[in-house]
Amino acid sequence: MSEGRLVQRRVAGRGPVRSMNSRVTGRSHAAASAARWDTAIGSVGAALIVGLVTAVVAGRAMRRPIDRLPADRAALKVRDGAAILGASVLADSAMEHLRGGFYNPAMFAAPVTAAAVLSASVAEPDPRERTFAHGAHAAGAAVGATGLAFHLYDVGRRPGGASWQNFFYAAPIGAPGALLLAGLFGLASERIVAIEHLERHPRERLRIARLLAACSGLALLFESAEVALLHFRGAFHDPAMWLPVTVPPAAGLALLHHAARPSLHRDRLARLLTGTTGILGVVGTGFHVYGVGRHMGGWRNWRQNVLAGPPTPAPSSFWGLALIGLASLDLLAAEGLPR
Amino acid sequence: MRAPVGVWATEAEQRPRATDGRAPDVFSRDGHVPMRQFEDGEDVDFAIVGTGCGGGVLAAKLAEAGLSVVAFDAGPFWRPLADFASDEREQDKVYWLDERLSDGDDPIELGSNNSGRCVGGSTVHFQMVALRFRPEWFAARSRLGYAVDWPVDWRTMWRYYAEVEDALKISGPVSYPWGPDRGRYPYRAHEVNAAGLVLARGAEALGVPWAATPLATVSAPRGKSPPCVYRGFCKIGCSTNAKQSVLVTYIPRALAAGAEIRDLAMVGRIESAGDGRVTGVHYHRDGQWRFQRARNVVVSGYSIETPRLLLNSATDRFPDGLANGSGTVGRYLMVHSNHAVWARFEEEIRWYKGPPSMAVCEHWNYVDDHPTKDFDGGYAFMSQGPLPVDFAKALVSNTGTFGTALRNRMAEYNHMAGLKIVGETMPQAENRVTLDEETDALGLRRARVTFSYADNDKRLFRHSLGFMKRMIEAAGGFDAYETSSTAHLMGGCRMGHSPEDSVTDADGRTWDVPNLWICDGSLMPTAGGVNPSMTILANAARIADRMKALAARGELAARHA
Ligand SMILES: Cc1cc2nc3c(=O)[nH]c(=O)nc-3n(C[C@H](O)[C@H](O)[C@H](O)COP(=O)(O)OP(=O)(O)OC[C@H]3O[C@@H](n4cnc5c(N)ncnc54)[C@H](O)[C@@H]3O)c2cc1C
Ligand code: SF4
Repeated sequence: MSEGRLVQRRVAGRGPVRSMNSRVTGRSHAAASAARWDTAIGSVGAALIVGLVTAVVAGRAMRRPIDRLPADRAALKVRDGAAILGASVLADSAMEHLRGGFYNPAMFAAPVTAAAVLSASVAEPDPRERTFAHGAHAAGAAVGATGLAFHLYDVGRRPGGASWQNFFYAAPIGAPGALLLAGLFGLASERIVAIEHLERHPRERLRIARLLAACSGLALLFESAEVALLHFRGAFHDPAMWLPVTVPPAAGLALLHHAARPSLHRDRLARLLTGTTGILGVVGTGFHVYGVGRHMGGWRNWRQNVLAGPPTPAPSSFWGLALIGLASLDLLAAEGLPR
Repeated sequence: MRAPVGVWATEAEQRPRATDGRAPDVFSRDGHVPMRQFEDGEDVDFAIVGTGCGGGVLAAKLAEAGLSVVAFDAGPFWRPLADFASDEREQDKVYWLDERLSDGDDPIELGSNNSGRCVGGSTVHFQMVALRFRPEWFAARSRLGYAVDWPVDWRTMWRYYAEVEDALKISGPVSYPWGPDRGRYPYRAHEVNAAGLVLARGAEALGVPWAATPLATVSAPRGKSPPCVYRGFCKIGCSTNAKQSVLVTYIPRALAAGAEIRDLAMVGRIESAGDGRVTGVHYHRDGQWRFQRARNVVVSGYSIETPRLLLNSATDRFPDGLANGSGTVGRYLMVHSNHAVWARFEEEIRWYKGPPSMAVCEHWNYVDDHPTKDFDGGYAFMSQGPLPVDFAKALVSNTGTFGTALRNRMAEYNHMAGLKIVGETMPQAENRVTLDEETDALGLRRARVTFSYADNDKRLFRHSLGFMKRMIEAAGGFDAYETSSTAHLMGGCRMGHSPEDSVTDADGRTWDVPNLWICDGSLMPTAGGVNPSMTILANAARIADRMKALAARGELAARHA
C-alpha cells in the first residue's frame, strides 16, 4: 500500500473566515443585474401601459355612438373579444420576449402588432376594405402566422426536436396562435358588419353565424390544448389547474355541435359553458397572480417572478374567446333557432 | 427589517436547536414546529443514528406507523432560508469535515465530495440527480457475471423507487430512454441549460440517447417549496428550499408524526448487554455524554461513520466491533469514479446556471456487448456546472495550473462545458474503513479509509474518458482535457444472503445482533453506475415497511430463524 495519506483540514481553523462570510446576504448576488433588469422591465411595463391606453383611446375614438342592429352588436362583441385577445398577446409577448432579451429584432413585431390589433378592434367596425382597422387585423393575422412558423422552427432546431421537452420550453406555439386568432376574428367582425350593411341573403347570414360559432369553438379547443400542455408542464400541482383544460374544451365542443346543428337546447348549453369559460378567464388571472406569489420571494420579487411564474396575461385570452363565442351564439339566435 | 442571511447560522452549530418541545421550521427563517420529546431513560422503539437518506426515511415512516423514534444527527439543524449563504467557503459548514485518514493506492478525498453532516444528511448538499439502478444490477452476479447479487428483487425496488420519487416530487422527463417503464415522474423535467445541451448535441452527433436529468428539485411549486430559481448553488445547500432534500421532505414528516430529532448529537457508542442485544446509544450533546435507552438501534451514518460506530462499540463479547462476526464491517467500501472531460466552446455557456447536471447519458449502463466495452459494470455521465472555487480547485489539483495560467483558464469559465461520469467500482474486501489510533475531540477513534482501484475500475474510467472526449468534441468543444476524482460512498456494511460475507440480512438487521439494524448507503452490495441517493432512499422505504410488518407481528426483536 502506498504512503498516500490525505488528512482533511481541521474545522477549528474556520472561525474568523466564517464570521466575515456570514455577512454575505442572499440578496447581494442579484443586486448588480437586478438594477439593469429593473430598468428594462420598468420601461417595458411603462411602454405596455402607454401602449394599452393609447390603443384603447385611439380605437374608441373611431367608434360612433349609434343605435345598432343585432349583427352590429355581435360584431362589436367579436371585436371586444379580439381586443382582449390582442391585449393578452401584447402583455404576454412583451414579457416573454423581454425574458428572451429581444435577442432577435423580429421579436418586437409581436407586441407592436398586438397593440395595433387591440387598437383596431376597439375601433368602429367598418365593412369597407381599406381602413386602418382592416390593415391592422390583417397584419395581426400575418404576424401571428409567421410567429407560429418561427416558433415551430425554434422547437424543431433544438436538440430533441419535436419532444415534450421542447414543446414545454422552446418558443410556445399557442402564443403567436393567439395573435393570429385576434387578427382573424377582427377581420371576421368586418364581415359580420357587412351582413347588415350589404343586406345579405338569410342563408348567407346563417352561414356566417355558423362559421363564426365553429371557428370560436375550434379556437377554444386550440387554446385549451396549449393550456393543457403548460399545465402538464406544471404537473397540475394545483387542482384548480384542471379547470381551464376541462371547461373551455367542453365549451368549444358545444359551440361546434351547435354550429353543426343549431338548436335552442344546444344554444343554452353552449351559452352556459362559454359564459363559464369567460369567467374562468378572469378568475384564472387571479390564480396566476397567486401563482407568481408562490415563486421564491413572492410578489416582493416581482421583477423576476412575473417572468418566471405563470403568465398573468394569459388566462384572459379565454375571456376574449368566450366573448367571440357568445357573439356567434347571438348571431345564430338572431336567425331564429329550432327547438 | 429582516436580518441578513447567516446571522443565526453559527448559533445552529453551537447550541442544539431541537429542544424544549420544538424543532426549527425549515420553511421559515426563524420559526418552529412542535416536536414530541422522549426522556433518556425511556425505552424508545427506535434510536436512529443519522438523519440522511436512510435515517430520515426510517424516522418518518416508523413514526407514522405509531412507533416511538428518536433520531440523532451529529450536525446542525439548518433553516436553509436564513442560514445558507450564496458563498462557497461559508457553505463548507454542510460537509463532514472532521478529520479522517485516507490511504491505499488511490486514497480518496473525503468531505465535500461524499459526506454531509447535518439534519437531512448528505441530501442537503447533494446535486439532486435522481436515477434508478438498472434492474440487472440487483442480480449483478447471476445476470451479468460480476460482483454479488443483492438480497432484494428489482421489482420490489422498482415499487419503492416510485414511492420515494413521489415523496421527493422528482422532476423528470416524460419518457426515459433506458430501462423498463418507470411510470410518470411526479413533476416535469426542468428546462435543460446550455451546459446540458452540449451533452445533448454531442449525444445526437454520436447517435446515443440522452435525457433531461430527473432531479430532486421542483419545477413547479410544491407546498412551501417554490420552484427552482436556477441559480445553481445546489451543491452548497439550496437556500430556497426548491431542492427536495430529506431536510425539507422526510424530516418535517417525521416531526409531524411524533419523532424526536436531536441535532448536534454525536453518537459515540452503542451499548450492548450481556445477552448480546443492544440497549441504547451513548451520545454527546450540549457538552455532555448522555445515554438514550432503546429497544432497537438503527445505524444510518453512511459508509464511513456507520462502520466506525460499530467498530467503536466493541465489547468483550464483541471484541472486533458490533455485528462484525464475519469481519465484514467496514469492508467492500465503494466509491464512484468521477472522471471528467472538459472543453472550451466558442459560444457562451454559463454552466453555473441551474442545477449542475441537467442532462444525462446512461448509454453505457445498458450496453453489455460492444467491441469497446472491456469492463464489467457501467457508468452514467452528466453535464456539469461547477461553481468557480470548485472548478479552480479541480484545475489546480488535476492540471497543476497556477498563477497567470490559472487566471487565464478561469477567465474562460463562462465558455466551458464538461462531462463527468458516475462510474461503478467493484466491491473489494480490502477497500475498507478501519479505526486509527488517533482520536477526535470527543475521544472517539478516527476512521481510516483505505481505497485502491481494481483493474476493472481503471478500464471503465479509461473507456469513459475516450467516449466523453469524442462526444464533447462532436458538440463543438476544443482544447479538451481530463480530470479525475471520486464521488459518493457505497457499501462498508453490506447486506447479503449469508452471515459469512455480509453484515445484515435483506431487512437491514445485523446477523449477529437481533435488535441492531443498519439502514443507509453502507448496505449497498454493489455501487451501480448511477448516483446512489434514490437507491438508498428506496431501500430505506422498503426496510421501514419490513420493520413495520415485523413490529405488527411482534417479531421486531426476534432472532434470526
Ligand atoms: C457533493 C455531493 C453530491 C451528491 N450528489 C448526489 C446526486 O446528485 N444524486 C445522488 O443520488 N446522490 C448524490 N450524492 C450522494 C448522496 O447524497 C448520499 O449517497 C446519500 O445522502 C447517503 O445517504 P445516507 O443515509 O447513507 O447518509 P447521509 O445522507 O450522509 O446521512 C448520514 C447522516 O448521519 C450523520 N451521522 C453520521 N455518524 C453519526 C453519529 N455517529 N452520530 C450522529 N450522527 C451521525 C451525519 O451527520 C449525516 O447527517 C451526493 C453526495 C455529495 C457529497
Ligand atoms: S438551482 Fe434550484 S435547486 Fe439549486 S440551489 Fe438554486 S433553487 Fe436550489
